[in-house]
Amino acid sequence: MQRRHVKTGVVLGSLVALALASSATGQSMAKIWTSDAVADRQRLMKLNGASWADAQAKLKAGNIEAIAVNAETMALTSTQIAALFPEGSLTDKSKAKPEIWQKWAEFEAAAKNMGAQAEKLRDAARSKDQAATEAVAKEFGRQACGTCHQPFRVPPPQQQQPPPPSPPQQLQPR
Amino acid sequence: MELRHVRTGVILGSLVALAVVGCATGKTATMGSGDPVADRQRLMKNNGANWAEIQNKVKAGNVEGVAVNAEALALHAQRIMLLFPEGSLTDKSKAKPDIWQKWPEFQAAAKNFENRAGTLRDQSVAKDAAAVTATVATFGRDACGACHTPFRVPPPPQQPAAPRS
Repeated sequence: MQRRHVKTGVVLGSLVALALASSATGQSMAKIWTSDAVADRQRLMKLNGASWADAQAKLKAGNIEAIAVNAETMALTSTQIAALFPEGSLTDKSKAKPEIWQKWAEFEAAAKNMGAQAEKLRDAARSKDQAATEAVAKEFGRQACGTCHQPFRVPPPQQQQPPPPSPPQQLQPR
Repeated sequence: MELRHVRTGVILGSLVALAVVGCATGKTATMGSGDPVADRQRLMKNNGANWAEIQNKVKAGNVEGVAVNAEALALHAQRIMLLFPEGSLTDKSKAKPDIWQKWPEFQAAAKNFENRAGTLRDQSVAKDAAAVTATVATFGRDACGACHTPFRVPPPPQQPAAPRS
């Protein structure tokens, strides 16, 4: 008898607490992404790819200072990465490895590292120091992208015979 | 007696439920620095830099190059509301209290910014120079101003023109 009442109370309390918790976070946590985490993170990473491509083009053109905006964009998007990999979001469209969730702390650290590397690139660009910016950029693919992609992303399929020339990576209309 | 047991249950249940919610949202909690004013000023500074670059690229005839900056604006726009939690009005902030008094309008203004940035991105990807130029011409007013005018304290009046150097 008594136990049943406790149980009723547990259920009631849980519901009220959940309602309060969700309304408390409701305003500030207004949903920012869609309900499709895979599409959301692929969109974010496509922007990172495009920002990195833009930065490299500027480097080639000697337009060092202008790299800062791309680098800061990457630093800001890097803070979103971990949140876009909720557990169980591994679909056949995703190239994520299950290791992400088995080694969550390392994954989080890798995303944080990308942010730090992007800030390094940003600061070098802001200082207009061409040699320093080139040095950071040279290592960026391996240090910032690779340290996460290698352990946590399925590598792209084996190179076909010479791939047809494709236009530079760019954003798709949505 | 029974009521007391129900009460115990309510407390227990609440604690467990809150703990679960806490864990579930825990992963997203690492996104900010803990200082929303600094976080949003950093984000908006990058928006300003991306917008400046958009204008430079259009001037240089690089219509296609605008997409990366426009998409950055569109993605950053989604985060704006999260960076204005209630009570985050410090003396370093230029936010107006109207943000929290008219929250739905503020939300709509951020969404409008996101949509316009998305439009600009799509026009750029389509290499439609005329459309990009037209959107850029009104972007400052329609995307930035639609939120800054009602919700941001205007910058101090212009200093008298500095002598030309």
